[in-house]
Amino acid sequence: MTYRPDAAVSTLRTPEASSWEPVAGIASILERRRSRPRGRLYAAVRWGGAAVFAGVFLLLLVTLFHQAWAALAHMGLSILWRGWNPAKAQFGAGVFIVGTLLTTVVALVIAVPVGLGTATFLAGLAPRWVAAPCTVLVEFLAAIPSIVVGLWGLIVLTPLFARHVEPFLKEVPLLGALFHGQPLGASILLASVVLAIMVLPTIVALSRVAMSGVAMADREAGLALAATRWQVARKVVIPGARRGIRAAVTLAMGRAFGEAIAVAMVIGNNTALPHSLLSPGATLGSAIVNSFSEANPGSLEKSGVVALVIVLLAISVLVNAGGQLLLRVREEGPPPRGPVDGAVEAIAGTVGPAS
Amino acid sequence: MSRRHAPALLATAAVALAAAACSSTSSSTSSSTSSSTGAATADASTAPGGTLGGAANTSTPAASLTGAGASSAQPFLTRAFYDYSRSNHDVTVNYSPAGSAVGISDIQSQNVDFGQSEVPMSASDQAKAKGGPILQVPVDLGGVAISYNVPGAPKNLHLDGDQLAGIYLGTITDWHQIDSSIPSGTTIVPVHRADSSGPGYDLDRYLIDTSPTWVGAIGTSTPSKTWPKANVGIGQQLNSGVANYVKQTPGAVGYVEYAYALQNGFTNAALLNPSGSYVSPSIASIAAAGSHATNLSSANFDIVNQPGAGTYPLANFSWTLIYQKQPVTNTGIALGKLLDWLATTGQRNAVPLGYAPLPADAQTVAHTELLQLEDSSGSALFAS
Repeated sequence: MTYRPDAAVSTLRTPEASSWEPVAGIASILERRRSRPRGRLYAAVRWGGAAVFAGVFLLLLVTLFHQAWAALAHMGLSILWRGWNPAKAQFGAGVFIVGTLLTTVVALVIAVPVGLGTATFLAGLAPRWVAAPCTVLVEFLAAIPSIVVGLWGLIVLTPLFARHVEPFLKEVPLLGALFHGQPLGASILLASVVLAIMVLPTIVALSRVAMSGVAMADREAGLALAATRWQVARKVVIPGARRGIRAAVTLAMGRAFGEAIAVAMVIGNNTALPHSLLSPGATLGSAIVNSFSEANPGSLEKSGVVALVIVLLAISVLVNAGGQLLLRVREEGPPPRGPVDGAVEAIAGTVGPAS
Repeated sequence: MSRRHAPALLATAAVALAAAACSSTSSSTSSSTSSSTGAATADASTAPGGTLGGAANTSTPAASLTGAGASSAQPFLTRAFYDYSRSNHDVTVNYSPAGSAVGISDIQSQNVDFGQSEVPMSASDQAKAKGGPILQVPVDLGGVAISYNVPGAPKNLHLDGDQLAGIYLGTITDWHQIDSSIPSGTTIVPVHRADSSGPGYDLDRYLIDTSPTWVGAIGTSTPSKTWPKANVGIGQQLNSGVANYVKQTPGAVGYVEYAYALQNGFTNAALLNPSGSYVSPSIASIAAAGSHATNLSSANFDIVNQPGAGTYPLANFSWTLIYQKQPVTNTGIALGKLLDWLATTGQRNAVPLGYAPLPADAQTVAHTELLQLEDSSGSALFAS
C-alpha cells in the first residue's frame, strides 16, 4: 500500500480508526524522528519560558520589597492614606493614589465614548475611501511614544487650557462645580486629557478590529429587520465585539495608570490633595519619575519611592482584577444574547413608544 | 596672518596670563590641600599629561567624554565644550542636563566620566562612589533669579525673605499684597522645581536664613535640594520646565538659574540681602557674591545670603565631579585638560550667557583639585 499523507494524519489524530494498521510504520517513524525530540524541545521551551517569566516576576517583587522595606516599615499601612513630605520623613502615597485614580477615570470617561464612536464609524458606517486612510492613521497614532504627546501637551495644550478651555469650563452651569479654582493650565484635567489622547488610538484600533470581526450575516440580519445602520452598530456590532472592546479598555486603562513622564509634564506636580479637576496634582507615576533621581541610594526617601512603585503595581493589579470580576458577574447575570435579539430589540425600539 | 586669527592670539595671551597666575598661587595652596596625594607628585618630564596651564592645546589625547548633571550649568557647559572642540577636534564631550541628582548618582555608579552639581557631594555621597575618592572642581559661578510674569508690574520688585516665604507657603496669594501698584485680583502662581535642584537648595537656604515663618512651616532648618513645600503651587521639571511655565502663565513666579532668566528675557525680583539692600541678579551682583568665597572648598561652598551693598543673595558655584583615580590614562588627561581650560580660558563663555567669571580663589581650587588626578597605578597625571 502506498503512503497517503491524509490517512497518516487522520491516524495520528484517531488511533482507534480502522486504517491504523497499514500506516503504523510511518506513524512510528514520524513520532520517533520528528515529534518526540521536537515535542521535548517544545516542552522545554514552554516550561523554560514559563519559569523565566515567573522567575523575573518573583525577582522583581523580591527586589522591590527589599528596597521598599525601610519605608514600608516606617509608614506601615498608613502609606495608603498619608501624604508625601520627605522633609518630615513622611512617605505616604495617599495623594498620589487619588491622583492616579482620578486621572485614569476622567481619561477613560473622555476616551471610551469617543473611541467606541470612532471605531463603530470606521468598522461599518464610514464609506471605504474614508475608513481605509483613517484606519491606517489611527494605527499609526497608536504607535506614537507617550513623550511626544506629553511634550505637545506641555507646549500647546497648557497655555490653551489656561487661557480658553479652563475659563470656559468654569462658566458651564452644573459642571462648573467640578472646575472651581484658578485656571493654571497644568492640572488634573489637562493630565486626563493628555492621557485620553494617548489611549484613544489604542481603544479605536483594538475595538475596530473586534467590530470588524462581527459576522456580516449578523449585521445583515439586523438590516433585514429594518434596523438603521446606527441601530445595527449599537445593538449588534458593539455587543458582538464586547470581548475585544473590553480588552481595548483594559489596555487603555493600564497605559493611563502607569504613564509617568507625559503626566509629570502637564499635571503641575503638587502634592496637596486635589479639590477640583483644575487643581494641580500628582500621580504615582509622575511622583516616581520626579523623585527617583533625587533620592540618595540607601536613603529612606529612595525606599519611599520604591514603595510607591509597589503601591502602583498593587493598585493596577487590583483595579484590573476588580474590573474583570465586575464584567464577569454582569455577563453571568442575564442569559447570553444573540445578535438577532439585539436587532429585534432595535426594531421594537423604533416601533414602540418613544425611547 | 589673517584677521581671523586675532581672537585666537588674544586668547593665547589670556591663557598665558591665567597660567602664570595659577601657577604662582597653586604652589602655596597645594601643599595644604592635597595631603592625600603628597607622595604622587611628578615633574613635567615624567607626568604623562604634562603641566596644566589653561590652554586649549591640541596635544590633548583623543577622547570621547560623557557627563551628566545640573541643568543650571548646561547653557555654559554646552557653549564652552563647543568652544573647546573648535581647537581640539579629537575631544568630544556629551553632556546630559538631567539634573544634579542624576549627576551625583551617575558618577557614583561610574556611568559617566564627570558629574555636575551646584551642591558638592557630601562625605556620605562620596562614600557611595564606586571608583574611590572624588575630586570636585568649581567651573562656573551662577545665580538664581526669582523671575515673575506679571503684566504691568514694575521691574525688579523688592522682595524680602518673609514675602518670598509667604508666596511659596501660599499665605500671600495676590500680587497687590507685594506691590500696591499692581491691581488687586492678580493671583500669584508660585512655581517650584518638581525634581531636586541646586536653585531650590539655594532658595531654601536663603528662606531658612531670612524667614522664621518659613522654618516654622517646613519644620527644619537644614536646606534641601528637594523642594520642601511641594503642596503649594505648580511643580515643573528642570530649569527649562520652570522657565517655560513662568513664561506662559500670567501671575507666575519661579526660581531659575539666571542664565535661563536672561535667555527668556524675564523680569527678576530684587532680593533683600544682609546688608539691607535690595539687589537684582546681574553679572556684577553675582560676581560680588562669588568674591566672598575666600576659603572655598567642596565642604565650604555656600555663598548664599552674603553681605555687601551690591551682593545678590542667591549665588552658587557649579562643581564638576570626577574620580581622582582615572582607569584610562588618556581619558584622565583629556578630562584634566578640559576642566583646566574650562576654569580659566573657558570662562570667556560665561559672561554672555549670564554667569559671572570664576574668581581667582575658585580657579586656584580647580587647579589644586585637578593636580591630584592619578592614573590607575596611582601616579600623578599632571605636573605642578
